[in-house]
Amino acid sequence: MIRFILKRLGSGLVVLFAVSVLTFFLLYISSGSIARNILGDQATPEQLAVKEAELGLDQPMPVRYFSWLTGALRGDLGTSWFTSEPVANALATRIPVTMTMVFAAMILIAIIATLIGVAAAVKRGWVDRVVQIGAIIGDSIPGFVIGIILVTVLAIQLGLFPATSTISPGAPASAWVLSLTLPVIALLINGVTGGAQQIRSAVIKQLERDYVRTLRSRGIGEGEILSRHVLRSAAPAGLTVLSLQLIGMLGGVVIIEQIFALPGMGPLAVAATSQTDLPVVMGVVMYTVAVVITVNLIVDLLNGWLNPKVRAS
Amino acid sequence: MKLGPKAASAALILSASLALTACGGGSAAPAGAGAPAATTLTLGAVQEIRSWDPAQAHVGHFLQPYQAAYDSLLLREPDGKLSPMLATAWKYNAANTVLTVDLRTDVTFSDGAKFDAAAAKANLDHFKTANGPQMAQLTAVSDIKVVDADTIELDLTTPDPSLEFYLSQAAGLMGSPKALGTEGIKTEPVGSGPYVMDKAATVKDSQSVFTARKDYWNKDNQKFEKITFKILLDLTARTNALVSGQVDATLLDPKTGKQAEGAKMILAANEVDWQGLTLFDRDGAKNPALKDVRVRQAINYAFDRKTILDQVLLGQGTPTSQPFGKASGAWVEDLENKYPYDPAKAKALLKEAGFETGVVLELPSVPGFETQLAVIKQQLSDVGITVNIGAAITNTYTTDVAGQKFTSMYFSLFQGEPWVAINQIISTKALYNPFKTTSPELQAKIDAVQGGGKDAPKLAQEVNKYVVDQAWFAPMFRVNQMYYHNSKINVTPQIQQAVPSIYNYSPAK
Repeated sequence: MIRFILKRLGSGLVVLFAVSVLTFFLLYISSGSIARNILGDQATPEQLAVKEAELGLDQPMPVRYFSWLTGALRGDLGTSWFTSEPVANALATRIPVTMTMVFAAMILIAIIATLIGVAAAVKRGWVDRVVQIGAIIGDSIPGFVIGIILVTVLAIQLGLFPATSTISPGAPASAWVLSLTLPVIALLINGVTGGAQQIRSAVIKQLERDYVRTLRSRGIGEGEILSRHVLRSAAPAGLTVLSLQLIGMLGGVVIIEQIFALPGMGPLAVAATSQTDLPVVMGVVMYTVAVVITVNLIVDLLNGWLNPKVRAS
Repeated sequence: MKLGPKAASAALILSASLALTACGGGSAAPAGAGAPAATTLTLGAVQEIRSWDPAQAHVGHFLQPYQAAYDSLLLREPDGKLSPMLATAWKYNAANTVLTVDLRTDVTFSDGAKFDAAAAKANLDHFKTANGPQMAQLTAVSDIKVVDADTIELDLTTPDPSLEFYLSQAAGLMGSPKALGTEGIKTEPVGSGPYVMDKAATVKDSQSVFTARKDYWNKDNQKFEKITFKILLDLTARTNALVSGQVDATLLDPKTGKQAEGAKMILAANEVDWQGLTLFDRDGAKNPALKDVRVRQAINYAFDRKTILDQVLLGQGTPTSQPFGKASGAWVEDLENKYPYDPAKAKALLKEAGFETGVVLELPSVPGFETQLAVIKQQLSDVGITVNIGAAITNTYTTDVAGQKFTSMYFSLFQGEPWVAINQIISTKALYNPFKTTSPELQAKIDAVQGGGKDAPKLAQEVNKYVVDQAWFAPMFRVNQMYYHNSKINVTPQIQQAVPSIYNYSPAK
């Protein structure tokens, strides 16, 4: 088991390194006018040259990458070119906001999607049809549109929630919960409908298997068959879907955070990209890759724990 | 493993708690989003401030928050007139190469340091070397001398008709000399301005909070007890925050403005930018047809500016044929409709120039202006000019412009003071004159503006007439900035700024 974890961690590091090289070189190749972006269109060539030297843009690319890498290994991801804020700081203040939202949404998706998916698979009939139609509708409306509808109805017309985040120091915990409720709902609807669909088909597939018939013939109750055997076998499919949704959510949350003005990773990523604030973009990319690697690792471990057959292979 | 029952109970608990919080929201939200007291002002800011170091201040949207914390040497009134602020008087020598500035003697910074000539010099010196986004504002200033405790002298290498204006902008912001260059001032401003930052309530990326400074020297500029800049990068978020009462004022666009008007918000519109084509390659280096002035004029006659404005920007702006702004002093009434919509005349001019067919205009695509480009393509094809829309401009576009990659381009540009505009789009040093087009006649007119002192704006009218006659550009319209506020406050628009100066807000009576 430990060997498995170490192997996965090792390959994760290789991916992280490869992505860092690729991103760094792609970003810096297109970074021609960074000094101009910072100093504006009235700057003289001399002023531009000074700024480029200040940012280290006059150094050859491999030197720049190496200095970034050695810094990154020490936990120093550099400093934003525009705000002079250390990138590690910028990430540390925003990751909790984004992760609170993503994990709250994920937990709710896991529970609701499982309940709906299993109900549709077991009951079939009208329940199944309702779930299927709901899934199509839920899947076809993008999260940000759901977000805008929620704000218009629940925040602006009914005044139940703040239209944009009211999170600030000294604000009561209820301000956090209120500020995060609408964004989390906007995030989770697509996940619930998509997840329920996948869990439904996984459960149906298991219910049709021979071992279920054998268990039934032995007189074991439907409830026990479902909870002890079917769900356990269907879990890997469900987990994979959930992990994919979590990774996809890292993209969706960017737009949701913009709409709700939440100080998470989204505004940081958007601002850094549009300004070509490369140290920050690098930080954001590294964070995203790290999350993806971690999530995949956790899913693999959970799968192994749930299903010994997966572990053996 | 019994996933089902566990999951079911967990779901029950969670959904119950969600329902509870939703109920709680019903009673708590009105208190949180409730009406601010009359003397607080909450603004929806379109950008986060990068650094509170005054030398890192910018123009337009980026200047307003600095004005809460910092006074500037000169004050720019809403109509553009320059008035005393930290400077009580200022005067050029006859050659316009030395500016003598008298300073107030009764002002202190929020850290207790005194404002005097040495402090002013420290700030201007710092601005010249701090590599800020507007450092070019003091390019012409070679030396700053302390004459006495309340007088400084700015020595210029060449006359700069914009310098007084710059001293009311980023270059004129005065920070405490003790704090300049320190790490601390990047996150917490130290100025002599009407407000001081409430560090405890300020959250990066979310809001900056300021409270009125006690014993501020000029109570006329301090009309609120508290000002909050709420960072709302997203247009939808700004609209929602304004109509739900979370902010008192913010910048929208014509489409979201309709929603705000539905919620009884008040518009303080102001023309700040112009949109249109710039025909870079007037010497015909890469596109020979553009060398012929008749071709450039034909392009100007081909556009139905009014209809384009109505369709694309819901009529929020004014059609124009000149690149200089109405408030700049270089604006000429007769040029406003110099090139009316006249496709027949456009065709005649092209025929006369020997380009009845075969003129091709290459334009890069500009994100956000796809509709305008589509209309331009259509209207130019109606007079026989083919438009090829190329790849979208990217982050490197300023380098691409400077590198003569584009022979013409559609853009939206800020309309500043005449000398600023000349150095932005007309002089041979201007970024947006990459082919360095000029003529002795034009250069003489530009030189006249530079040495013109107080007459500079009037002299710039000659430059304006020249570039309009020569059809250097094909301007479309000046665009309204849609700044909306609620009825709790009064707002006076500030010329050449989409977002008004902080002094232009007051509580509604």
